[in-house]
Amino acid sequence: MRTAVLGVIALIPLGAQAVDSDLVKRGEYLARAGDCIACHTAPGGKPMAGGLAIPTPVGTIVSTNITPSRVHGIGDYSLDEFGSALRAGIRRDGKHLYPAMPYTAYANVSDDDVKALYAYFMQGVTAVSASPPETKLAFPFNIRMAMAAWNTLFLRSEPFRTDPASSTEWNRGAYLVRGLAHCGACHTPRNVFMAEKQSRELGGGDVGPWYAPNITSDATSGVGGWSEEELMAYMGRGDAAGKAQASGPMMEAIDNSLKYLSKGDLRAIAVYVKSVPPLRDTGDSRPAYGWGAPADSLESVRGAALPASLDQMSGPQLYDAYCATCHQAQAQGSFDGRMPALFHNAALGRTNTNNLVMVMLAGAERGEAREVLMPGFASELSDVQVARLGSYLTKRYGNPQATVTPKQAERLRRGGKTLQIVVVVQAATALAGLVLITALVVFLRRGSAKRASMRR
Amino acid sequence: MAEAKSADFVVIGSGIVGSLTALKLVQSGASVLILEAGPRVTRAETVARFRNSPERSDWMSAYPLRPWAPHPKYHPEDNGYLVQAGPYPYPAEYIRQVGGTTWHWAAHAWRNVPNDFKIRSLYGIGVDWPLSYEELEPFYQEAEEIMGVSGAPNTGSPRSKPFPMEPVAEPYAMRRIRERLAPAYPVVTNTTARNSRSYGGRPACCGNNSCQPICPIDAQYHGGLAAASAEAAGAKLIPNANVYKLDHDATGRITAALYYDPEKSSHRVTGKTFIVAANGIESPRLLLLSASDKFPRGLANSSDMVGRNLMDHPSTSLIFDADEELWLGRGPQSPSSINTMRDGPFRARHAAYRLDFTNISRVDSATKALIAEGVYGVEFAKRLRHSAAHELNVKSVLEVLPNPEHRITLSAEKDSMGIPKPQAHYAIDGYTRKGHERARRDYQRIAQLMGGTNLRYSDDYANNQHICGTLSMGRDSHASVCDGWGRAHDHENLFLAGTGIMPTAATVNSTENAVALALRTAHHIVTGK
Repeated sequence: MRTAVLGVIALIPLGAQAVDSDLVKRGEYLARAGDCIACHTAPGGKPMAGGLAIPTPVGTIVSTNITPSRVHGIGDYSLDEFGSALRAGIRRDGKHLYPAMPYTAYANVSDDDVKALYAYFMQGVTAVSASPPETKLAFPFNIRMAMAAWNTLFLRSEPFRTDPASSTEWNRGAYLVRGLAHCGACHTPRNVFMAEKQSRELGGGDVGPWYAPNITSDATSGVGGWSEEELMAYMGRGDAAGKAQASGPMMEAIDNSLKYLSKGDLRAIAVYVKSVPPLRDTGDSRPAYGWGAPADSLESVRGAALPASLDQMSGPQLYDAYCATCHQAQAQGSFDGRMPALFHNAALGRTNTNNLVMVMLAGAERGEAREVLMPGFASELSDVQVARLGSYLTKRYGNPQATVTPKQAERLRRGGKTLQIVVVVQAATALAGLVLITALVVFLRRGSAKRASMRR
Repeated sequence: MAEAKSADFVVIGSGIVGSLTALKLVQSGASVLILEAGPRVTRAETVARFRNSPERSDWMSAYPLRPWAPHPKYHPEDNGYLVQAGPYPYPAEYIRQVGGTTWHWAAHAWRNVPNDFKIRSLYGIGVDWPLSYEELEPFYQEAEEIMGVSGAPNTGSPRSKPFPMEPVAEPYAMRRIRERLAPAYPVVTNTTARNSRSYGGRPACCGNNSCQPICPIDAQYHGGLAAASAEAAGAKLIPNANVYKLDHDATGRITAALYYDPEKSSHRVTGKTFIVAANGIESPRLLLLSASDKFPRGLANSSDMVGRNLMDHPSTSLIFDADEELWLGRGPQSPSSINTMRDGPFRARHAAYRLDFTNISRVDSATKALIAEGVYGVEFAKRLRHSAAHELNVKSVLEVLPNPEHRITLSAEKDSMGIPKPQAHYAIDGYTRKGHERARRDYQRIAQLMGGTNLRYSDDYANNQHICGTLSMGRDSHASVCDGWGRAHDHENLFLAGTGIMPTAATVNSTENAVALALRTAHHIVTGK
């Protein structure tokens, strides 16, 4: 009897806590899905304490502290205020956030999920009592009101609505892709105001020096030819054999966010993207992963001395020097697949060769330990060498129409250094839009001021 | 004469020692100029040359000779750059290019054992070092953290902090050797500067098995990386600058380094302090070349010790066929060794040694042997397969004692730049030979434990390119070239760095000793401590 009573007493607080911690746990999972940490944590800094400096053409944006510190973070936010920042881009003090914060996507997040995220940020994140430097943009970019006009045009302020005609899985995928996972931030091209072109959802876009490819259901230009399992493998660990390997900003999205998602959610995302209306890119005749076969050019290399100027090295000579050790003589990769084959590899199959150039320059890293999957060769390969090697690779193992030029290498080399991560690019593109908006607002104000003075 | 160049510190030699010294000096805020005789060379072109070489077992074939910075080469025949005065040859190999000789090495990065620093006091042989293991220990650690060193915990060198790296996976052959030699011989992983995980932006070793002549992916640390880090920190590096003379003033302070460019135009570089880190043969050569009226025997040479006490770690070896398939060639070239004979009272009588298991694929050497034997056809394929699978190689790494008669001098012959060539006078003494006799007993026992047949001993003392002793440090300025900080006894602003300053050779590959000593020298220069 006594033990039974004790048991009941013990159960009450435990039960109460269990509900709460479940909510916090769910919120943590959703924060992963939203990839909050990517922007709101400085390199080597404390989680969610902000401080990541994002250089943009109009100045440096510094991400804020979103830990529950009442002084330095968002500890004083009510649930509604939190939801408003997340879904409408409006801070507690009423000021507008810059759309480096992807609130146009987060606008889709459900009330329940906002609650879970709020519980996580208030109870699951350790408060950090430090403020990163404030974002101080020069006039006119410091006019946050300019965002109000932009929002009127481009912010759809209603949460995601379930499509009863589609499966639960599809709906879950659509909810994630359009909402927290904000895939369109990179994969949907942007209009002149730097807002996502919804008519070309997931049709592919430039992300600074990188290219976020078309991931619509088109079998040639998109991912229509990928199985759900392949898409899940790619999102889960950045590697889909015979299709593509992730690098650059996509690898960061996998590292910080996608690899933490459940199999069920990854499958839902796969189901959804494979249903997105197909968009065919002009000139595409085969899927990017559909090119090439094992082959070598050793007959032109063996017995031939290197030229005195290494800029004169032939494509096969460059391949022999830089690539063949890992990707092997016939570009077949390693037996265990850890070093991928270069034929049937999307990096070499697109007419847009930016990602090929970027991976040659920057390499590929994975995880917190920055595991070097492929070393970058920016300090070793000249622009001429990048172009000759890149063009050899596409011709021999990829899309023979695709080429790399020295000018392209030079341009991407500059862009690749300062703009490594997706947020940087998002912010930069969004800010470029701000320039237009601000100009517009200033113009309108002047106009109304003029009209007012005329009336006087 | 071209424009005058000057810096607070002028470092001669851009190898792993010179470059890491330069790095530490430039980080203190000083200006640093590095002069390198050879050219800049990229890893990839070296990889391309190696892959394209018809002589892949000649590790120098991937490193072409430059007439303005010649170095020794022995294949297909001796180019005669390092003149051999005998009686025993000293065919050292080294590379004159930015980054120096660690472009090709097995990445062995050993510490001495504490007793190596006092063999005169303990065993009545050789000389004591002017510093202790404990004094060098923090700089061993610093070197290891720069290079990403891993190793076994039980090789007799105490540590204040753990290794910064975990060892790479043990190759199958090494595991079998370890299992079959236990408990008679403890086989342990070597202490090496090789990544088992990403470190310093470099990937993990994936077992290309071409550490020598070139790691194709920079999984092992080397002087090219050291030079790049020194330059990134602000040091200025002039390649193709073959220093042929150091100038001094009336007080004996060094005032300038004179170098030839590839067209043999002379340039003059001035500085406040000079660090000669041009390797154990080229550094004493430069000091001897710099003889003047005031210093007729050469710089830093009032003791007449410059170039003397030339040492190495000669290797004898045994090749045999094990009774099981081992397939050497997977993983790094030199993964494991036996360290039980590195120290003990026996050192009063014979050389200490390590026993090293090479893991270089046997295909190339077995092919050559079979062709030489006249085997062909089906029999060839059968025997090649057998040899490649079963052959095993164990070698000694023997200690050599300092002997003033073993030395580097200037030859009467001139090199392609018209500079007197270095000349080696060398012999293998009874102390080392007795060590080999003792090691031979181990070879036999090891072969027995591995079910070995077809035992082929090599009693030649193969050169391991660990050039020590020629710039010995010591407390007695009459018996050594520099003090415990590497400062030349005769010149207040001249420091010596490299394997040459090691007063004894001990039993381990000398790179880490040289790097740790150089880091200690730089620390002393910067802090005065």
